[in-house]
Amino acid sequence: MGAILKDLLKYNIEFRVGSMLIAIVLVMSALSFVSPYPPSDTFVVAPDAPPSAAHWFGTTSRGQDVFWQLTFAIRNTLAFGVLVAMLSRVLSLSIGLLAGYKGGWIDRILMSVNDTFIVIPLFPILILFYFVLRDSMSTLLLAVIMACLGWAYDARLIRSVAMSLKAREFTQVSIYSGMTTREILVREHLPYVMPIVFSTTMNNMNWSIGLEVTLAVLGFMDINSPTIGGMLYWANQHTAVVAGIWWWIAFPIALVVAAFVGLFLLAVSMNEYIDPRSRLARMGGGAR
Amino acid sequence: MTAVDDVSFSMVADAPEVLTIIGESGSGKSTLARMILGIHAPSSGRIVFEGEEVSARVARDRHAFMAKVQPIFQNPFESFNPLKKLDRYLFMTAERFGRAGRGNVERVCDEALGAVGLSLAEVRGRFPHELSGGQLQRAAIARALVSRPRLIVADEPVSMVDASLRMSIVNLFSRLKREFGLTIIYITHDLATAYHISDRLIIMRRGQIVETGEARGVLSAPKHPYSQMLKDAVLTPDSAGIFRSSVQSRL
Amino acid sequence: MSAAPILQVRNLRAAFRTHHFGVRRDVPAVDDISFDVRANEIYGLAGESSSGKTTLIKTIAGVIKPPLELVGGSARFAFLPDCESLAQASPAAVAAIRWSKLAYIMQGSMNVLNPVRRIGKTFEDFALRHIGSAGDFQQRVEAHLQRVRLEPSVLRSYPHELSGGMRQRVTIALATICAPDFIIADEPTTALDVIVQKDVLAMMRDIQGAMGASILFVTHDMGVHAALTDRLGIMYAGRLVEEAPTDVIFRGALHPYTRHLIASLPRIGDRSERKSLTGVPPNLANAPPGCRFHPRCPLAVDICRVQAPAMTELATQHRVACHVVTGEAA
Repeated sequence: MGAILKDLLKYNIEFRVGSMLIAIVLVMSALSFVSPYPPSDTFVVAPDAPPSAAHWFGTTSRGQDVFWQLTFAIRNTLAFGVLVAMLSRVLSLSIGLLAGYKGGWIDRILMSVNDTFIVIPLFPILILFYFVLRDSMSTLLLAVIMACLGWAYDARLIRSVAMSLKAREFTQVSIYSGMTTREILVREHLPYVMPIVFSTTMNNMNWSIGLEVTLAVLGFMDINSPTIGGMLYWANQHTAVVAGIWWWIAFPIALVVAAFVGLFLLAVSMNEYIDPRSRLARMGGGAR
Repeated sequence: MTAVDDVSFSMVADAPEVLTIIGESGSGKSTLARMILGIHAPSSGRIVFEGEEVSARVARDRHAFMAKVQPIFQNPFESFNPLKKLDRYLFMTAERFGRAGRGNVERVCDEALGAVGLSLAEVRGRFPHELSGGQLQRAAIARALVSRPRLIVADEPVSMVDASLRMSIVNLFSRLKREFGLTIIYITHDLATAYHISDRLIIMRRGQIVETGEARGVLSAPKHPYSQMLKDAVLTPDSAGIFRSSVQSRL
Repeated sequence: MSAAPILQVRNLRAAFRTHHFGVRRDVPAVDDISFDVRANEIYGLAGESSSGKTTLIKTIAGVIKPPLELVGGSARFAFLPDCESLAQASPAAVAAIRWSKLAYIMQGSMNVLNPVRRIGKTFEDFALRHIGSAGDFQQRVEAHLQRVRLEPSVLRSYPHELSGGMRQRVTIALATICAPDFIIADEPTTALDVIVQKDVLAMMRDIQGAMGASILFVTHDMGVHAALTDRLGIMYAGRLVEEAPTDVIFRGALHPYTRHLIASLPRIGDRSERKSLTGVPPNLANAPPGCRFHPRCPLAVDICRVQAPAMTELATQHRVACHVVTGEAA
């Protein structure tokens, strides 16, 4: 693992830039643990102060320090994105691989469920959930709901790769070597699907973070736990743009964009590294 | 769509032989192979192995059936996962088909590899791309041997092996028949290699058998017009200039 | 027979160069190859996997994309005398000769024919530009189809409605309609059944004879070479090892590899044991020094292990690269 990281850092500029951006984001989230102010307390500092030596990113109209507030916000937002991505990856991987490999009625059932999720209009459903659940709606619950709604496209993608893998001779050889279905899926097919998993993870995180921000900005969220969307919501509530409190909006957006771009670059470079063709080329089998 | 239509033949348990099924693409020979392997069930008719219908037997105990009937495929570079070490498939076959106790796995695999002219030392820890097509096809045959099968179904096993190595693989099949008492179904479109190793021969066209019989007899003097056409179309080193003369005669 | 060559290949070298995360590989797939293709002949190139024959024709055709790189030498066509190789020619120059002077026939006909376009439309895409007026274009296409024994009705068909043999006829008709001087054929019949193959080969011979074109015909199938080609070059591990008229190769090959290759071919009616070569084809990324065949060669002597033999003309039109054979002849 260490050697892989060293290779990537040494030979891949995308990876270097990406890991730098993600490092900034991670350091920010880690700083939340040493924040001098509790995240939900208001009017702990003088409001509406522009960036200065005392308050690097300025303060909000609610008397909060933007920098320290942002550390909590990015931590929650990132955790939310990772959670949604993880859960939905597990779903799309297991369903996609199984449907593609097994075929027949298993495939038909799984794919009809899959297509149902693809055609469900997402945004109204999320708002519906908010109105039904109201007070019991937490970030965690939203993550689970989004994971359930966010696996379907990628499962289809994975299924198509699994179907082509199934037709390859080594799959038959694996069966006749006595491997179980689980072994074939995990040991033989998974390595070919990993590049898809990586790039879709990144897409999925962007999608879920984006939706979370959207929902929070509109107020359809638990606005008291600080997230990037939550900060923007309060900034809007206090008409920060009109009032010229640009730092309340600019810094959260800059940080979330850094996270997006960092994730994207990491996904691209990792993809190139674990892509079966590139792996074979490094092992010396690509020239055939 | 009917891929295989009203095909009947049988093979005797105690008389090992190489039965060749010859046909061009679309003749149904591969479909037939997959039915014998129990991958597809026939829509009508029966395939009986050791007195029991294949589809019933596969449904009852696939594992035991696979130990006795093993396949060999066309493309040696695809027979093993390019991202995995190749010894894994041999070890796995030895472990799963219970021929060997834990300690014996390596010995069993080495023996099987020895029978095809390789050794475990040559194969251990290596990836498929590190071996040549001929070596990979040998390794694939060795893997099939590990479970001590009674029947091997080889679907175009040499069509992607280099010409200079092809005959060594073909000869290997005759040797395995003799030494292990194996029955081999050799599926091919190549009449010349079929002539060399088969005892009996079936020529298929569009899912039906057009001619069958003792291999040398059929290939030396085919009776069915299709078999004759097939034989005439085979280009060998002796066909030198057949098209050249046809042009010159017209000019 | 001393017609001027239409293609002159001189000391051609090409290599695959890859660079993945610090792992550098340099695979010399075409190593110092020289030969001529004359006007109005079918020149065959034979070789097994990793012999570099596909790379060689890619290099000649100028289809050089990374990781493949042209390292040196030239491949000069008579119709582009100022151009060392197609890879260095300007795109405009290449477009001007493509199909009108130089045509290709590939293995997978489906890769050439657009699946959602009728065959007639594909003919227009390929050839209208080179043939001029639309009026007699239709007549010319139909006359040409007759030559490859296809009905004019195929023009209204989609590729998937035709059989494999008919599709390959269509691609041959496409390649030859502008009466090119030179055709590169890469395993054009390998995917076909033997009965169809024989038919298609006979047709290629007819059409070549009628048009007076030259064909560079590449296949691993020695039977096809025997039947079709006029002269034959044998490749091994990226080098040309023997070249002679096809009859001579099959009756009296000199290079030990060629002799083994021919002796190992099975024949119906001859059940004598065939010997295969021992050993394996070399990995080009780590090719043996000297003659690349020496580890498998029954005749190998000391010099074979250190010095690569040069192609030497031992008889008229018969060139061999082998220390032992040349030594005996001298």
